[in-house]
Amino acid sequence: MRIAGTSYTQAMTGQINVLAGRQNQLQSQASSGQSITAPSDNPAGMTQALGLQTDQANVTQYAQNVTTLQNHTNLMSSALQQLKTISDRVSELATQSDSLTSPSALKANAAETTQLIQNAVQIMNTKDGDQYLFGGTVSDKAPYVATTDASGNVTGVTYQGNTSVNASEIGQNSSVTVDVPGENTTGSGARGVITDSRSGADFFNHMISLQNHLLAGDTTSINTVDQPALAKDSDNIIYQISSIGAVQTRLDVAASSASSQQTSLSTSLNTVAGADLAQTITQLTQAENAYQIAMQTSSSILQLRSSLLASLP
Amino acid sequence: MLGLFNTLGLGARALQANQLGVEVTGQNLANSSNAAYSRQRVTLATSTAMQTTLGMQGTGVQATSIQQVRDALLDGQMRDESSVTGYWNSQQSSLQNAQGQLGEYLNINGTNSASDAQGLSDRLNNLFNSFQGLSTSPTSISQRQNVIGQAQALASGLNDASTKLSSLNDSLNSSVTDSVTQANQLLTQIANLNDQIAKASLSGGTANDLTDTRQQALESLAGLVNIQTNTNSDGTVDVSVGGTQLVAGNKTLDSLQSYDPGNGQMQVRTTTGGTPLTLTGGSIQGTIDARDGALKTLRDGLDTLASSLATQVNGVYSSGYDLNGGTGAAFFTGNTAGTIAVNTALAADPSLLQASGVSGATGDNTVALALAKLGTQSVAALGNKTFSGAFAAQVGSFGFALSNANSEVANQGAVTTMLKNQRDSVSGVSIEEEVANLMLFQQAYSASSKIISTADQMLQTVIALKT
Repeated sequence: MRIAGTSYTQAMTGQINVLAGRQNQLQSQASSGQSITAPSDNPAGMTQALGLQTDQANVTQYAQNVTTLQNHTNLMSSALQQLKTISDRVSELATQSDSLTSPSALKANAAETTQLIQNAVQIMNTKDGDQYLFGGTVSDKAPYVATTDASGNVTGVTYQGNTSVNASEIGQNSSVTVDVPGENTTGSGARGVITDSRSGADFFNHMISLQNHLLAGDTTSINTVDQPALAKDSDNIIYQISSIGAVQTRLDVAASSASSQQTSLSTSLNTVAGADLAQTITQLTQAENAYQIAMQTSSSILQLRSSLLASLP
Repeated sequence: MLGLFNTLGLGARALQANQLGVEVTGQNLANSSNAAYSRQRVTLATSTAMQTTLGMQGTGVQATSIQQVRDALLDGQMRDESSVTGYWNSQQSSLQNAQGQLGEYLNINGTNSASDAQGLSDRLNNLFNSFQGLSTSPTSISQRQNVIGQAQALASGLNDASTKLSSLNDSLNSSVTDSVTQANQLLTQIANLNDQIAKASLSGGTANDLTDTRQQALESLAGLVNIQTNTNSDGTVDVSVGGTQLVAGNKTLDSLQSYDPGNGQMQVRTTTGGTPLTLTGGSIQGTIDARDGALKTLRDGLDTLASSLATQVNGVYSSGYDLNGGTGAAFFTGNTAGTIAVNTALAADPSLLQASGVSGATGDNTVALALAKLGTQSVAALGNKTFSGAFAAQVGSFGFALSNANSEVANQGAVTTMLKNQRDSVSGVSIEEEVANLMLFQQAYSASSKIISTADQMLQTVIALKT
């Protein structure tokens, strides 16, 4: 077959362009570590990779939710531990007062009980950011407000929250409720920390009762009424601490699960869209060698032609 | 015998014939790098014999014609393949442009954080995950600001993509109009060339260079629109497009016209007849198919995504309560990719975000949680896919269209190269061959000059006999 000058140069240019394009593609893959960058590189792979990235983003958010809830439950646990300390001290005062006869000693215990009530109100009004821990889903007012008489004795503590609690997602089709209301007398739903109809707890009212009995010097009522009541409050607080602990364990498991899922998704994403660097570099070296050889042979042939023309008389 | 004077004439004719050979060879060599040139060769024949006493005696050589070496079949195939090449090249160019305007590129090494979000897929994910974050802290102003920020990023991303793809659509329409103008110029040029070629044919010659120019014009025209040709006995070529004859000999019967059928998308018809043309190849049809095919599907898909997003989000959101107890407002305004935006009142005051599902309970997260769950729910208007899934499918579908165009361009490149090689093997200039011919004609010219010098010396001898 005749080889015309133009067909030769066109073929040479075409082949060199193909090799240059191939080198460019492989260099891009090697530098980015990806076999897919644009949709046209691998349309099906791109769709799959975008889906995996969506899953990754979701898992990352679930992990962030878990972190937020872990911080929240840590605060709750700390508050409940403080409340338990108050409960223990109040129970101790009640037991101690049972055998006291000195009015001044009883009044001293009454004053300490009043202080403990105020402390407990403060603890129950703890916030996480701008969110009250124990007010249910009411966030624009503090869960508890204490009223006092002219002598500074607490006459009542009013709950301003509600019994509703939020659920939060910690995984695909997996949610958890970490909040507990301060009060729940409905008989269903999350048990109240201070007041709960199912457990018989009514901590603030029981402490006010003790305060009043101490002020009146009524040790009989302290023994027969206050001590059993405070025992129910203590049991309820222990229950709440245990429940929070169980939630925290579940959050730890969710965090671990999210971490495993992230690893798995990263592996899948690399399988779909990652570049096999060893293979890419090998192919790149081959393409570079072929390019150099094409250039050299083209140059040789052009030199031969020049020699032919030079030989003309 | 011829006689000395006839012998001189024989030598002169030989010189002329070989000189013409050198000239034609020179023409070939001069055009050796001209891809549109078909090599020429001198056709030599024995000049008319003369009756002598010894019978018929030859009188030398004469050039009878300068012939162009070309294969009409290959020329026709090249025109056909030019249409196919033009079609797929314009598809590839249009869709590559669209891919760039869409800006959806994969980064598997990113952290998927808000700061890394670039494409619409990331922005969709970030919106629904911001609702998730809000559900854990419904009263948090920072979480609310995050939701609003992510929503604004998504809306502006959709707006941007819509604007860019719309601008591309306009550019493709302009391209159709420009290409039609170019095609009409080529039709006129072909008619003019037909006229010149016919005149040359009438005078008994051949217009080889004009034929090359006309073939180049036909191939350029075929690259724009698929053409049908018919070669007449006088050497002219009739040209039809879509079954309508536009060039007949040296006359342009009609021309092409781009027009808007009413939907803002340019189509092609004949100017005088007004007949809409169904083009089957060429870059004009490739541009139209890209515009009305993959690009339109992509634009419609983005509009449907935006519309569904606004509808679904607003449907859940409007029942919620903000920190001030307000309710009933919309989260998004607009219902297309170009118009969707975050409610301006909300953008200015995060406390107006209606995250609670219970009046009077600002800490309730029911609406925020429901909004977050929208991200994983199937939407009927999106083919029962999630928002992210639907968008990923749209991206993949578009990618298939461009990938297919890339493959066709590569395949067509191979076909075209093969055809060009075949044609060049017939019509192309081989420098080695022409150099050999040059030497051949040069030697023949030198030999022919010896005839003249010898006959001249013989004449002088004869003349000297008288003196």
